[in-house]
Amino acid sequence: MTSVATDSPTTTPSALTGIRVVEFGPYVALPLTGRILGSLGAEVIKVETNKVLDEMAFIPAWSRGAGQPEYQRGKRRITLDVRTDAGRDLILEMVRISDVFMTNFRRNVLDRWGIDFPEIRRQRRDAIIMWQTGLGGHGPYYTYKSFGILVQHLSGVSLMTGLPDEPPGVVNTSYSDYHTGVFQPAGIIAALMRRNLTGKTATLESSIFKSGVATCGPALLDYQVNGRGPQRRGNRDAWAAPHGVYPCAPDPISGDADRYIAISIADDEQWAMFRKAAGDPEWASAPEYETRIGRQRNQDALDDAISVWTRPQKSEDVMQNLQQAGVPAGIVSQGADLNGSSHLNSRNFYQDTQYWEAERGVKATEWVEGESVSWSIPAKMSGTPIAFGNYSNIGQDNAYVFGELLGLTDAEIAELEEAEVIY
Amino acid sequence: MPRFDEYTGEHLIPPYRILDLTDRRAAFCGRLLADYGADVVKVEPPSGDPSRRLGPYPSDSSDPERSLDFLFYNTNKRSITLDLETESGRSLFRRLAADADVIVESFDRHYLYDHGIGFDALRTDNPGLIMASVTPFGNTGEWADYQGDDLVVMAASGYMQITGEPDEPPVRQGNEHSHYPAAQYAAVGILAALYHRDFGGGVGQHIDVSSQEALITYYTDAHPALLWRKLGQNVTRVGTNSTLVIPLGAYPCKDGWIAAGVITPREWDALAEWIHEVTGNDEVLSEVYRGGNQDRAEHIDIITALFLEFAENFTVQELFHEGQRRNLVFLPVNEIADLLADPQLAESGFWYDIEHDDSAIGAVKYPLGIFHSDDVKARSRPAPALGADNAAVYQGELGLTPSELATLKNDGII
Repeated sequence: MTSVATDSPTTTPSALTGIRVVEFGPYVALPLTGRILGSLGAEVIKVETNKVLDEMAFIPAWSRGAGQPEYQRGKRRITLDVRTDAGRDLILEMVRISDVFMTNFRRNVLDRWGIDFPEIRRQRRDAIIMWQTGLGGHGPYYTYKSFGILVQHLSGVSLMTGLPDEPPGVVNTSYSDYHTGVFQPAGIIAALMRRNLTGKTATLESSIFKSGVATCGPALLDYQVNGRGPQRRGNRDAWAAPHGVYPCAPDPISGDADRYIAISIADDEQWAMFRKAAGDPEWASAPEYETRIGRQRNQDALDDAISVWTRPQKSEDVMQNLQQAGVPAGIVSQGADLNGSSHLNSRNFYQDTQYWEAERGVKATEWVEGESVSWSIPAKMSGTPIAFGNYSNIGQDNAYVFGELLGLTDAEIAELEEAEVIY
Repeated sequence: MPRFDEYTGEHLIPPYRILDLTDRRAAFCGRLLADYGADVVKVEPPSGDPSRRLGPYPSDSSDPERSLDFLFYNTNKRSITLDLETESGRSLFRRLAADADVIVESFDRHYLYDHGIGFDALRTDNPGLIMASVTPFGNTGEWADYQGDDLVVMAASGYMQITGEPDEPPVRQGNEHSHYPAAQYAAVGILAALYHRDFGGGVGQHIDVSSQEALITYYTDAHPALLWRKLGQNVTRVGTNSTLVIPLGAYPCKDGWIAAGVITPREWDALAEWIHEVTGNDEVLSEVYRGGNQDRAEHIDIITALFLEFAENFTVQELFHEGQRRNLVFLPVNEIADLLADPQLAESGFWYDIEHDDSAIGAVKYPLGIFHSDDVKARSRPAPALGADNAAVYQGELGLTPSELATLKNDGII
């Protein structure tokens, strides 16, 4: 076992102590929801099977599964083939002793396996059900497939990004998955409160599509009221100038030339502070730059002049100089910056963790252990722990869940392993 | 357990009293809680929330009651005015805080403390008080006093590093994306803290949310810190189309753009057959292109050309529906207008129609139905007029007389 940090021992009860969640489904959004609930103290049981591994176990390709702790820490991970009769019975038994059942499988699939929502309700009348879908569980697209990173096109955001006449502006992540993953715990905790107060349960359906569109912002209203689509402004802003990223000196350590500083100046007071921090250069005293309107009208020239000023400087130096003068500025962070950030590290944002290198055709118990890193849930709570949680390998908690929680004997567990039910 | 005499579970969140002192960088937190049932009271300075002075406005005619920006971020909230810069204003605020469940705020970290209304001061009268602070870089650490808005947070989180074209400077995502992650995490923290207080025998607490950290978690799949540790490389921008998985990205067609992702061998075979049907080009069926997505990487130029030649024969909607019928991940690249007309969203309980009394705005669809449910629904009240609830809160709840309220108004405190 490599030496990795774990949470400090604590006797403080967690916010969601006593809540048990069955998490049933792969990928990003649903596991993120489970990780958030787990970090808040819920007991999250993740149901998987070695027979059909989550494709995320093999990502990133250069270190297969090293990214998994960020989604899977703080959970009890069990292996169970729910397509078998005994497997179905066991997941339903788990539902009976749990408060929440959450899944991202399609209804026809759950139905085929005998664990559709009416059956969940029969097992546990007051279970909170969170059903996560891609494009929606009902309606014309309910059978349609989607794919994380492409949802930014579907949800309207890529045609709000970049400049007019450019191809859709793309961010290299499936960020709508994260919106969904963080909306869902809010819905689940609220549903638990509602259940405690009224005795009523709830089934909530979310979708990655809706979660993305929900963040299109005031542009949705502007179209309806004024009949116009959003303006693609690149890095510029309707209410601030200068407002953009400016090239800086190559990274002194890596030699990477892809270094930028973002500067955002909303009013004339900040402009005065900028001028002072920049050493009151002559170009900045031009009368056309005195007001925001003037700076907006002359943005091309202004941006060129600022770039000349930033280009020989280190991006961190520009940030520090401007921020100490009160001007909003930030480096465009790279992985090296985040990993080594003394600011983030002083907040214990990252923590080392072990992981297991996934290998196709080899049972997870045989996978080689390695060292990785994961971030903390970014809601630092003063009174209850936000735990990083231990990182279990697939199936590592079988004995706890099937033995301690469900009361199977070692012999029964061994038999079910042999029959590839617990597998 | 709290008593909510009139709460029967129509809405997901019980009507907890939440005082919302956020600006537009965190206003979505209170909105999410208000949409789902919390009693969120926005505490505005007498001159109004600054976003009331930001457009867009109907017909571009500036009016603080018609800012579409304010209307978007403040649905289902109530509004009172209060000048925290005055001692009588702060005194009223202390009385409001004594009966509140939650305060959510986005001031610079010293502001409330310097004014004697920080968390520690307020909780002495209200040990159950929960306060969430959403700031660009969090309440601790060497960047805690640094200023940040959407652009700066997107940059400092590294989110911009992976947005845009590889040979061009980083670009910000055009929907002010940084306004959501921290607000969402704050809402989760607030609900968890309420749960702990009311159903776990706990007391109140403070929640510190950094927008930078929240946004870092929104591109976990790019693994910025891990890639640096393992390979000494930085994540970069890949542009509109992936260079590894083909096709993956957005491609022009007859009347717009189609997003397509072809990953598995079976998906490629289905696409190749379809391209062959349409173009008659046998080249696309070649064995050398078959297999998993990485197998096609060296043929990117040929395959992209074949795909574009094929796609230009169809409209977005034709490619979308026929592609999905063939079990391919084809999705439209939507504009705002497409979203408002989309039949799936229309049937997903997503849009809530809100009728504004103001005829310059009229009936507008808001994207409030994040959770679709037969059991609960979101609320559909428009964002409040400035100070609309002054009488209800100050007279009805704090028991001020009409003349006291009038004096406070005259003095510019309310």
